[in-house]
Amino acid sequence: MNIRVYVQATPFALADGYEQVLAQRTDIGAVVSFTGLVRDFNETPDVTGLTLEHYPGMTERTLESIGEQAWQRWSLQAVYIVHRVGYLTPGDPIVRVLVASAHRREAFEACDFIMDFLKTQAPFWKKEHSGQGEYWVKERTTDTQDAARWT
Amino acid sequence: MQLTHLNTRGEANMVDVGDKRETRREAVASGRIIMQPETLKLLSDGELPKGDVIATARIAGIQAAKRTHELIPLCHSLALSKVSIEFEIDQEGSCVNVTALCRLNGRTGVEMEALTAVSVACLTLYDMCKAVDKDMRIDAVQLESKHGGVRGDYQRDARPAMPIVTGEGATGEVTLGERCASPCVRVKFLAELRERVGVSDIVLDLEQVPSCDIAGLKAALSQRDPRFSVLADQRTLCAINQVMANDSARITNEDEVAFFPPVTGG
Repeated sequence: MNIRVYVQATPFALADGYEQVLAQRTDIGAVVSFTGLVRDFNETPDVTGLTLEHYPGMTERTLESIGEQAWQRWSLQAVYIVHRVGYLTPGDPIVRVLVASAHRREAFEACDFIMDFLKTQAPFWKKEHSGQGEYWVKERTTDTQDAARWT
Repeated sequence: MQLTHLNTRGEANMVDVGDKRETRREAVASGRIIMQPETLKLLSDGELPKGDVIATARIAGIQAAKRTHELIPLCHSLALSKVSIEFEIDQEGSCVNVTALCRLNGRTGVEMEALTAVSVACLTLYDMCKAVDKDMRIDAVQLESKHGGVRGDYQRDARPAMPIVTGEGATGEVTLGERCASPCVRVKFLAELRERVGVSDIVLDLEQVPSCDIAGLKAALSQRDPRFSVLADQRTLCAINQVMANDSARITNEDEVAFFPPVTGG
């Protein structure tokens, strides 16, 4: 299994993952990547930043396990997951999921699957900072419904 | 919004609470006193010239809570049913964190009593330590939460010093705490739940737990402090040794149990 997981406070580049996954390989036919960014509107219209907390250890294991489940389900060549923690401001990338496979369908579906499970299982919590103060972001039922599509 | 302590002519006015219904009221206030690391060490080692600083400050805080009406002009005198004061020595912040809880069944809130208790406990700490350190600073005296009464509950959720990650471990590492002398479990509270219960880590003696499973642990914690009753909320999630667990999951010596709200990453 070629699964790499990084949980880090430092920013990642927009091209992060491509080089790492594609280096010295000519068998990969498709790469799908998803990038999640901090929006300046969410539960309030003027989000100035957010603090991402996580549960060190469990976070990495959960992300690895989600990658492994995708690996069992589809025929994949690489899974690369980066998630940031700490203080982020609008426009900052939060998460990158990059999946490589021989054909596009596997990569599209596996990337979608990994994001759905990351959102509902990985122990991250967002606290948004806005003009009206700070508050913890509520979970969304649509995320739970999205994850239920795969069972 | 009108200030209840002013009448229509803007004069000071003690509010008539006779018609208010008696309810269970509770308020928690906190504050801290920042001092030199050497002073903190003398304090924690019990080597200050004035003797047991913490015990004295605790009594001072309790006495102050009872006498709040004598200090704050428009406060009613209240028959408090409970006053408790906790001190936490914070080596990293080089300070003593003080928390006061006041409770009563009555017609008026107890936040002034809790705030007074914290203030006087901090002042007493200053008095007890001033022989060796005059740079001490009393800081961040504030109401943490308030329950009961017609204006509803209040919970401070904006904590200035929010830890980025929970626990001491760097990313990807799990730190092991010191071994307990007797069988125990390490309990962690994460994210919003940590702020609601006001504590991040607790070590609990397994003998205090009525049954060695998550349900038993929740019962023991609720018994210890009513704030932990939030653990009964169905939204509260739980992991044993970083693996998701439910109420019937067994716990054993040295387990790490974490309680946390639904996740919101990605």
